[in-house]
Amino acid sequence: MKLHEYQGKELLRQFGVNVQDGKVAYTPDEVRTIAREYGQAVVVKAQVHVGGRGKAGGVKFSPTIDKAFENAEKILGMDIKGLTVNKVLVTKAVDIDAGTEYYVGMIVDRNVQSFTLMACAEGGMEIEELAAERPEAIIRHRVDPITGLRPYEAREVAIRAGFKGNLNKIADMMVKMSQAALARDAVLVEINPLFIDADGTPLALDTKFEIDDNAMYRHKDLLDWRELEAEHPLEIEASKYGFAYVKLDDGNVGVLGNGAGIVMTSLDVVNRAGAKPANFLDIGGGAKAEIVYNAVKLVSKDTDVKAIFINIFGGITRADEVAKGVIQALNEGILTKPVRMRIAGTAEEEAKALLAEVNSPLIQMYPDMFQAAEAASRDANSAGEAK
Amino acid sequence: MGILVNKDSKVIVQGMTGREGASHSRAMKEFGTQVVAGVTPGKGGSDFEGWPVYNSVAEAKAAHGANVSIIFVPPAGAADAVLEAAHAGMPLIILITEGVPTIDMMRAVQEVKALDAISRANGGEGVRLIGGNCPGLVTSGECKVGIMPNKIYSEKGRIGLISRSGTLTYEAAKLLSDAGLGTSTTVGIGGDPVIGTTFADVLPMFEADPDTDAIVLIGEIGGADEEAAAEYIGKHMKKPVIAFISGRSAPAGKRMGHAGAIIMGNVGTPESKLAAFAAVNVPVADTMPQIMDMVKKALNIQN
Repeated sequence: MKLHEYQGKELLRQFGVNVQDGKVAYTPDEVRTIAREYGQAVVVKAQVHVGGRGKAGGVKFSPTIDKAFENAEKILGMDIKGLTVNKVLVTKAVDIDAGTEYYVGMIVDRNVQSFTLMACAEGGMEIEELAAERPEAIIRHRVDPITGLRPYEAREVAIRAGFKGNLNKIADMMVKMSQAALARDAVLVEINPLFIDADGTPLALDTKFEIDDNAMYRHKDLLDWRELEAEHPLEIEASKYGFAYVKLDDGNVGVLGNGAGIVMTSLDVVNRAGAKPANFLDIGGGAKAEIVYNAVKLVSKDTDVKAIFINIFGGITRADEVAKGVIQALNEGILTKPVRMRIAGTAEEEAKALLAEVNSPLIQMYPDMFQAAEAASRDANSAGEAK
Repeated sequence: MGILVNKDSKVIVQGMTGREGASHSRAMKEFGTQVVAGVTPGKGGSDFEGWPVYNSVAEAKAAHGANVSIIFVPPAGAADAVLEAAHAGMPLIILITEGVPTIDMMRAVQEVKALDAISRANGGEGVRLIGGNCPGLVTSGECKVGIMPNKIYSEKGRIGLISRSGTLTYEAAKLLSDAGLGTSTTVGIGGDPVIGTTFADVLPMFEADPDTDAIVLIGEIGGADEEAAAEYIGKHMKKPVIAFISGRSAPAGKRMGHAGAIIMGNVGTPESKLAAFAAVNVPVADTMPQIMDMVKKALNIQN
């Protein structure tokens, strides 16, 4: 679960990290009130779950109260990479020239089977850009998942990264960030920029915080922060059914199968057949007719989808159950797009018999995944041309 | 023979009395696996469909000389179940559970590796964790410790199979079987970002196995395990390895079902994996059926 900047700051503050606090506002009037209260220059920052807010014009320095109001009017309601801004964080502005900006972050790193702490003396830049342009500028250090980052390690990393300032205070901030990451099941925490003022004191100006979805059961206090409207509507519906579903851009073939690997490969096969997958949908193992019915219903709602490719390898999933689910969708008039499927394994013959009974041109079974994918791709592409 | 498990393996099931644990205990028994006991804390002393149930792994291990444990415990208790088995000295632990918090896995994997090192330093056989979020492993015709369909593994073959995905493993095993090649041992290493055993850990076992002639490696996008495997193959493997990469058309930054299948920045891209395999002359199949042709070619088998 991705957190907003203000939420990430709240969590870090709870662990003692010195953060540049601010207040959240939903209207330009609220922004004006906050700016007046602060009585100094402020920064108005869009709170949306995407990177690159600054470049998109979602972060504005506001030297006066009127300017803060004006900027809030511009930012609230604006569209950043497809997401509408409906709240902003108003913080006291900091004179960046009176200090230095650094980067620190921790990320789940499968290569070290733990967290990697990253530190860089060039703050304010997106770490992805930095990693691509000047990877040698980033200091990396494996954090022990049991002990967390210890002060001596933090000092060592800060020294290697070339951080200037109060070494103990900087190390302390990194240790506290690590404590927050471990206690809150983070998969990613960033303090960027980490601002060090003229006295050498560190201050977290901006943060990123993302929590492991598998661990949400032990962070129920944060469930209120989950913003479903920020996700694709079909992804929200899919999560209600417990499906692993990802909406893909510019696709025309709906894809569903049993198992992440088989669905990933199904996407590849559709691509090779000359069409584009419109989604990833894993219905899981042992799926019953009702689950298949729900999956077909979900994919049918996607207006991008012109044909559906179902790829099932039956181990614990029965082919006849899959067929029953598809037939139910057809009988209820939900299924209006051609379904091209390949179901291998258990109860294949029963499935064929059920489909023969229905005898609808909308549902066809194929002996292998390539033929089924090719048929679905052909149908989807020709439906596009017919328009 | 095969690797890791065989007809002599004695298996206990942690979480046997749960729904998944029960149905897969039955399926493993049907396959011919020696399932000797179950472990469900609080139900010790009872009987489950003819199997004795114990409160702890240590008790079950002592009573039956078990040397493999398979875990079907729900996510919140899964890492603890792994640690219990590891501290009881179980040499091979298979974690099937999907959805275990990543930090729990980091801690469990680190502790299991430390116990493994201590065991080996003292002349023991070590401790190995496979998974989580994996389908388990099976030595064809001998022993299945996992959740894969029995049918496709009834006949012994001579191809070792390692995979990050469950269903794709079954697909490959069936194709190998239909092509008359068959599998020696199949190891599903799991789709999570932090797992106990990686491709590079399994490859040397297949290299040393007299019953395996070639290895099929089924990777997917995300992480750098395939790159590490390629490096190992280049340096140490004499047997042919054929690779397949799933998710080559997936967009960056989106998690494709498996928590581990996500492209972050330049890490985990199919291009990087293809280049790594190309550099060590490992053929990468574009489609699953192509795998069979490549295996046959590598082993000089005529169609």
